[in-house]
Amino acid sequence: MLKRKRFIFAMLAILPTLAIFAYVRLYPIADTLRLSLFQWNILSKNKPFIGLANFRELMGDHLFLDALVNTTIIAFGVLFLTIPMALIIAALIFHRTRSKMAGFYETAVFIPHVVSLVPAAMAWKWIFDARLGPLNAFLSFLGIPMQNWLFDPVLSVICIIILCSWQALGYAVLIYIVGFKNLPVSLYEAAKLDGASGPQSFWYLSIPMLKPITLYVSVVTLVSGFNVYAQAFVLASDAQGAPGRQVRVLVLDMLENSFRNYRVGYAASEAVVLLVIVLGLTLIQFSMLRERGRT
Amino acid sequence: MKNASVKIRISTRALLMSTAFAATLLTGITAASAETLTVWSGYPEMAPFYQHVADGMKAAHPDLQVKVEAIALREHEKRVALGLTGGGQDGVTLIELSGSTATRYLENDLLPEAPADISTFVKDPKNFDKFFSDIAGSNGKIYGVPLFRGQGSLFYNTDMFKAAGLTAPPKTMEEFSEYAKKLTQRDASGKATVSGWSLRLSGGGQGIAEKFWTNMHQYGGAILVPAGDGKWKTNFANEAGRKALKQYLDLVFTAKAVTPEIPADADAFERGQTAMFIRESWVIGDIAQKAPNLKYAAAPLPTGSIALPTNLYVAGDAKASKIGWEFAKAANTPENLVWLLQNVGWLPNRSGIDYKAVTSKQPAFAAFVDYPQGYKFFTLPSIGPIEEILTRVAAQLVVAFGDASLATDDAKIDAFLKKTSDEVNTILDREGLLAK
Repeated sequence: MLKRKRFIFAMLAILPTLAIFAYVRLYPIADTLRLSLFQWNILSKNKPFIGLANFRELMGDHLFLDALVNTTIIAFGVLFLTIPMALIIAALIFHRTRSKMAGFYETAVFIPHVVSLVPAAMAWKWIFDARLGPLNAFLSFLGIPMQNWLFDPVLSVICIIILCSWQALGYAVLIYIVGFKNLPVSLYEAAKLDGASGPQSFWYLSIPMLKPITLYVSVVTLVSGFNVYAQAFVLASDAQGAPGRQVRVLVLDMLENSFRNYRVGYAASEAVVLLVIVLGLTLIQFSMLRERGRT
Repeated sequence: MKNASVKIRISTRALLMSTAFAATLLTGITAASAETLTVWSGYPEMAPFYQHVADGMKAAHPDLQVKVEAIALREHEKRVALGLTGGGQDGVTLIELSGSTATRYLENDLLPEAPADISTFVKDPKNFDKFFSDIAGSNGKIYGVPLFRGQGSLFYNTDMFKAAGLTAPPKTMEEFSEYAKKLTQRDASGKATVSGWSLRLSGGGQGIAEKFWTNMHQYGGAILVPAGDGKWKTNFANEAGRKALKQYLDLVFTAKAVTPEIPADADAFERGQTAMFIRESWVIGDIAQKAPNLKYAAAPLPTGSIALPTNLYVAGDAKASKIGWEFAKAANTPENLVWLLQNVGWLPNRSGIDYKAVTSKQPAFAAFVDYPQGYKFFTLPSIGPIEEILTRVAAQLVVAFGDASLATDDAKIDAFLKKTSDEVNTILDREGLLAK
């Protein structure tokens, strides 16, 4: 009886939070799924049901396919650049925990994560500028020819990967440092007694024990990588007097279809594809790391 | 004594509460008596103009509060789409929209018809040419008040022309290419440091396609042409399209008179980084502010230009919207339109206004008003999917402008134009607008 009462109390206590979560998170997702099956131009009261026609059209839409490829490259590029770098930087900072500069190192790495995106992207835009940018000046100092960073189809994607990684790094480092601080010191002492070097301890102890952290950080990084938008927008689009190639990414394509082309149902079907991809990749990551954890 | 103190405390609290209540009531009454009009503009440079109009209305409407919210065009379009469909905006909103963009809203009854007096004002040929009144309406009814238009002309740096031995602006598209090559300035390695002719090669949105259309118009081509019965067809997978695209590619890849990484557009012109470019009249106002010492002139294009009219629409409660229509009409008074041309630079659409006070001071405006006889204008079709069509053509063009192999291969250019034309036809077909 008491158990039941406690259960009811717990449910009642959690209900307001659940209700808010359902309204701001679950309802929009459900409505997006529903809209993807309709033809709706945002303005019309008429909203005919068209089944999977939006999805069929997506498969032949070269702009959507471009956006999908670009977004996937950017998301995985950010993941593969951020995770190893964050792990190494966190290890270095942790190793210097007792240093007076430890706080400075942590702050310096974390600042890009909290800096407002638009001014940061504008600064990077200047760095990547083909004529006046310091990056090309540095390359020419090394004898490497000037590159059209923001116009070349490949380089413009790389620019976005660099910008996104620069932003994501601080958060990943911070989480890894927390992970390092929770690792048992006794294991490292035992390894040291057995003659393990610092890099060996890092490779054979830290990395395996930080797997749950790696899982969390990689999921967060990958999901935010798939949601890339503002970086692509600020680096290249509507850049009067400062040219740049608009790297088409999924969120940008969705916004364009919704509010410029007035095709909300079609944009919703893109959102569904994005949702499926992100969910699928998250599940794969979870299962991979769990399996490795068991072995 | 203690009771007395409590009494005093209570009465003090009561007094404070009554004062606060009275103040709230008074504020409410004041707010209710004040008329509020919000102006949504897609051109930040227009904000001072609307403020000027509001100031002029102060005498007749001392309580009128005008909030001008002028933001970048693409963001403005999103705001209008969400604002008009979501509802919930307070008071009356005056919305600036191009005729082609407004079509979707009119088709879905999201913008109200203008009252009779405004309709009469707009339909009067003494006030507006039929071209403008038609675009401000639909099916014979008037929904908006014409205000200004975007019309392209050539801007050229006269110092650079002089240095290159050029005495007059180019008169044919072939001359445009020759001039661009002569005007390009290069460093010791041969790399362009000042482009001969700034072309829109990149960026976002439909501007790339609009600018390409303007160039192609000189060769007789068009992205879309009417085919009767409200249907449309493409007209660029042909010789005109090939010539226009080839000119871009020749200047980018062969002559290297313009390069993707070189600064472009009005900013570049004002900084002396390009010798000539095609743009609307607002550039004159922009130069006056940012580069007043720049020596330049403007000239009409070889055969004609885009004319993209922007109208004012009113959204909000029908009874309260009277002030919105009054504002739209006030914006069209001769005094305000002369102010607009002089201070902002956008070309007013109203007929019969004497702009000599402005054109005599700034001869560059003459290129926009004193064009040769037979000068042909085109505008964007007032059809729902026009933005989608232009955005998709722009996306294709960006790819073409980066493909050096097209520059010397006409067959490849033709294949590219055919592919792009087919994509446009697919959209027209989907919307039931394709001429069979």
